[in-house]
Amino acid sequence: MCLSNDVLLKMTGMEIEFPGVKALDGVDFTLRRGEIHALLGENGAGKSTLIKCLTGVHRMDAGSIVLDGQSIRLTSPQDAQRLGISTVYQEVNLCPNLTVAENIFIGRQPMRRGGIDWKTINARSSELMRRMGMDIDVTLPLSGYSIAVQQMVSIARAVDINAKVLILDEPTSSLDDNEVRRLFDVMRELKKQGMGIIFITHFLNQVFEVCDRITVLRNGHLVNEWGITDISRLDLVTSMIGKDMNEIYNLKKAEQRGDAPVVLAASGLGVPGKVESISLDVREGELVGFAGLLGSGRTETAEMLFCVQRPARGSVSMRGKPVGARIPLDSIKRRMAFCPEDRKRDGIVADLSIRENIVLAVQATRGFMKPMSMAEQQELADKYIRLLSIATPDAEKKVGELSGGNQQKVILARWMATQPDLLILDEPTRGIDVGAKAEIQRLMLDMCRQGMSIIFISSELDEIIRCSNRIIVMRDLQKAAELDGEGCDQSAILSIIADEETGREAV
Amino acid sequence: MLKAEPRRQSALTRIFNPKYIMVYATLGVFLVIYLFGALMYGDKGFTTLRTLTLMFSDNAYVGVSAVGMTMVLITGGIDLSVAAVASLTGMFVAYGVTVLGLDPWVCVLFSLAVGTALGLVMGAAIHYLNVPPFITTLTGMFMARGVCALISRESISIDNPTIDYLAGLKWYIMRLQDGEWVKLKPVAYINLSVLIFIAMIIIGTIILQKTRFGRNVYAIGGNEQSARLMGLPVARTKVLVYGFNGLCSVLSGIAYALYVKSGWNLALQGSELDVISCCVIGGVMLSGGVGYMQGMLLGVLLKATIPAIITFNGTMNSWWAKIFTGLLLLLFIIIQRVVVASSDRAKKTE
Amino acid sequence: MKAKLNRETVVRSKLLWAVIAELLILLVGFIMRPDFLSVQLMTLADGSRVLFGTPIDILNRSAEITIIAMGMTLVIALGGTDLSVGALVAVSGAMALKFLRWDVLEYPTPGDYTVMPYFLVILVPLAVCTLMGAFNGLLISKLGMQPIIATLILMVAGRGIAQITTNGKQFTTMYTPFQQIAQGYFLKLPMPIIITAVVILGVALFTRKTSYGMFVESVGVNPNASRVSGLQSSRIILIAFMITGFLSGISGLIYSSRISSCDSNNAGINNEMNAILAVVIGGTSMSGGKFSLTGTVIGSLIIQTIVTLVYFFGVVSEAIMAFEAMIIAVVIVLQSEPVRKFFASRKRSRASATGGAVRA
Repeated sequence: MCLSNDVLLKMTGMEIEFPGVKALDGVDFTLRRGEIHALLGENGAGKSTLIKCLTGVHRMDAGSIVLDGQSIRLTSPQDAQRLGISTVYQEVNLCPNLTVAENIFIGRQPMRRGGIDWKTINARSSELMRRMGMDIDVTLPLSGYSIAVQQMVSIARAVDINAKVLILDEPTSSLDDNEVRRLFDVMRELKKQGMGIIFITHFLNQVFEVCDRITVLRNGHLVNEWGITDISRLDLVTSMIGKDMNEIYNLKKAEQRGDAPVVLAASGLGVPGKVESISLDVREGELVGFAGLLGSGRTETAEMLFCVQRPARGSVSMRGKPVGARIPLDSIKRRMAFCPEDRKRDGIVADLSIRENIVLAVQATRGFMKPMSMAEQQELADKYIRLLSIATPDAEKKVGELSGGNQQKVILARWMATQPDLLILDEPTRGIDVGAKAEIQRLMLDMCRQGMSIIFISSELDEIIRCSNRIIVMRDLQKAAELDGEGCDQSAILSIIADEETGREAV
Repeated sequence: MLKAEPRRQSALTRIFNPKYIMVYATLGVFLVIYLFGALMYGDKGFTTLRTLTLMFSDNAYVGVSAVGMTMVLITGGIDLSVAAVASLTGMFVAYGVTVLGLDPWVCVLFSLAVGTALGLVMGAAIHYLNVPPFITTLTGMFMARGVCALISRESISIDNPTIDYLAGLKWYIMRLQDGEWVKLKPVAYINLSVLIFIAMIIIGTIILQKTRFGRNVYAIGGNEQSARLMGLPVARTKVLVYGFNGLCSVLSGIAYALYVKSGWNLALQGSELDVISCCVIGGVMLSGGVGYMQGMLLGVLLKATIPAIITFNGTMNSWWAKIFTGLLLLLFIIIQRVVVASSDRAKKTE
Repeated sequence: MKAKLNRETVVRSKLLWAVIAELLILLVGFIMRPDFLSVQLMTLADGSRVLFGTPIDILNRSAEITIIAMGMTLVIALGGTDLSVGALVAVSGAMALKFLRWDVLEYPTPGDYTVMPYFLVILVPLAVCTLMGAFNGLLISKLGMQPIIATLILMVAGRGIAQITTNGKQFTTMYTPFQQIAQGYFLKLPMPIIITAVVILGVALFTRKTSYGMFVESVGVNPNASRVSGLQSSRIILIAFMITGFLSGISGLIYSSRISSCDSNNAGINNEMNAILAVVIGGTSMSGGKFSLTGTVIGSLIIQTIVTLVYFFGVVSEAIMAFEAMIIAVVIVLQSEPVRKFFASRKRSRASATGGAVRA
């Protein structure tokens, strides 16, 4: 492979700090002309923060950006665009109500005789899209097209702006095989023209198929940069997931009796395009870990179990009785509980107090006409504040003012208060500090010992291996393997995650 | 699918582009109701050109205001101050001309300046202070109504040759009979208000369809965040849209003043809702991003047809018009929901 | 005590501005007219002694708006608005008068009588308004319409319904029990003040003694998290709109009793606007979340105090709106996000200069 060494963009010593978290800590990144450079890392690794520095959304605290030999300062997305840095986001940032053609040309429409020259716009857009292998009617509104087409329109816009640097932030997560191939053709074409492309993805086979170079971030730090031929798939996964270098607390797995009754039984759960058919059983007092990369379908499975997202097919039963849930409340009434992955969006109610957040789910099952008395509420809140050692002066503090780890504990408390038989935890330890992480792990194990069943989803293999009785490995929207928690080691799981010889099936 | 129907652009697909679907819905309902009127009251003259032009001239002031409102709604905002500003304009003209003895054109220019400035200020408050449009323009409405009452609580009639001349301007619709142009019977004519309305519709259409500014209006309504990320001038566009709407409100006030030849602080009470209703019936979505001047024009006509039918009926209480308007609103909002839902579904199955 | 302050910092600080504004307006009134704040006992024609004075008048006159604003607070806390309340006021009055007089041709002169039983005169309008509120609520919670659009329907159609109820006529009544609703006295106070107090107490008990208030705030702050936690937002939204409809009905009865008549054109005109303003001035954000009933009451009082004050200056009643608008503009600008952030950042920079933030 011939790699040009003509540096196009160089970011050095990038640092950015959010309240309580150092999101980027001295990260360097170099992009050369005519290369496709993969930027990899799990959630919270700092990829998107780095990209946002480059697109002018975040102001960095320290570091420098040099583009084409010139030091640049970015204060707004417009700045970045003017300098030739274009971004295609995972969530398409276009206007759904405008036509395809207009989305490509808005803000820089060609004019003729004092008015917008629609003919030229439509003709040129049509031509652009055709060159990208898409023969579509560009005069129809964007909202009528699939995400794949919208993604291509974003790229067409970026390309037509004459970008020097093109950032593709997880563009493939909603594309099928054919569409991905088409996208890669376009990327290679752009590469030939000398554009530098930063490609963010969670699909490793795609990385090896199209990229020239890889940079891996973890927890806001740079891990390393490799040429594509210099690293094996397994090493790459290991470098992304990493070992939990923190002090490993002396945790003891809960013992699992083989004759324990089945608490949760799910069969054939699925939603087209999100998860293929999934079946699993969880026994009393068992801790089942879900491993897999982001986007492998682990969160979607959890959401279907709890009916946050209604499964299109399949059934769930608790202790032998079908749940038949239509809304999450039905699942709660069957003694299920769910700590969602996105704490801010689906978990905390930021403006309410700790007490109110803790009693919320219990109160929801009772209905609002049977309120718990203030004394009961306070008692419950105080109990869990003590039990989970939530760091707060009192129960009336707003949850939004707590640190991430304490917010997580509040959500945990909300669900423990409902005394569930099954607790589903989606990334409960993400983005919280080491101490809180260990505490939450220990809590999970304690709860299991008391007979609660837990489904535990995490990106960090270490903690999954350390805590789980049984491990389910997810890959490509399906269950790839089920392993016994005892004597299971990291490399076994890594090789299952990394192994993609079957390729990704069309959705 | 990538190879999504290799459709060629034919005249047919251009006309039946799904983005016009709401306009067609309005057109369809208008035709049905008009046909109903024609069948029931055709013998009483419902179908004459006179009835149609009267529908225009009776509602011209609503229509002029709806031009600006359409733009505001497309950005995803709302403006409740339009009727109050129109009423204030009427008061400025009436007080200026009748009490102060000023030249009517001076009053008109002054009103235009005040109305536009108020619009710009409200737009700035909405964008920069992040106050909801609803609250901002509500305050604007109170302000305009209050100032209006401060000037005078009495209705002031306008007595001025220029205004009389302008109000009296009529262009009769003629037809050729025996080689001679004669007035159509029953007489049908267009007055200055209708002319202003038609002119504003044309100007509005040109702005929305032919200028970058107009397209930015749509983009902001479609997704303000995206518009910002695409580097469009969001702040400037939003502020100017409210300014333009202020201008339209003033013109609407002038059209109304020509219609009633007086200024009154309680004039046009609640008429901002008529304006918004016309837009919604005309397929402008309150959630922003969708709407056409042509649709709004149909909305004005459709809303004007209902009182016309009730008048022709003669036995029905005129208040049924309000209830029917409410039902029409319900109908169109449900149509909008269905359209949005079905396009979402279409995308998912694709 | 310290905890309480901490918990509602944002609401409280908005509330603070509202209280300061109200006090300033009262002070201006006092300086201009020293009798502005005086309350005396007055003997009525029937010999009973009642309280009288400007403050009583303000409380009395603000009743209609305060009552509606109680419901509006819940609707706004959920992130919605209800534009139909003014029209419902007209419907309620028209229904009541229709039942009192039934058919003007048969009962041509107004007098101290009611054609239909009195309990129907009261209950039917309230029931109809509650149902109309339910209609709004269903459109929003089940069909997923935007509240502004959904309630626009009844805002437009409601006055038509009111007119048709009375066949476009303006009925008048002299029926004493009905007139007592707004013109009577209880505990030396005008009846509307008592009714308002009962409504405030009722809504406060319902929201704070059950968990309804917490659920409303939870859905208003974070609908996603609320759903995952098992709240049924559609039911919560429906109830809020039904309450607002019911309260609009009460407000309509008070208004029509005040004028002993129904006036479908003018009853409740701009009530929706005033009620929304009262809520917003009171510190509840239009984007939903924490609400403050106390704030709403103060907001409503501010509006009525301005009106009364400006009356004192002999300004014509309609022109009051201009003054209202100016004061409201000031309050809203002070409460607006960028301005509050500006003040907050100044406070924070002072705090960090002295000690620095402590991480929990």
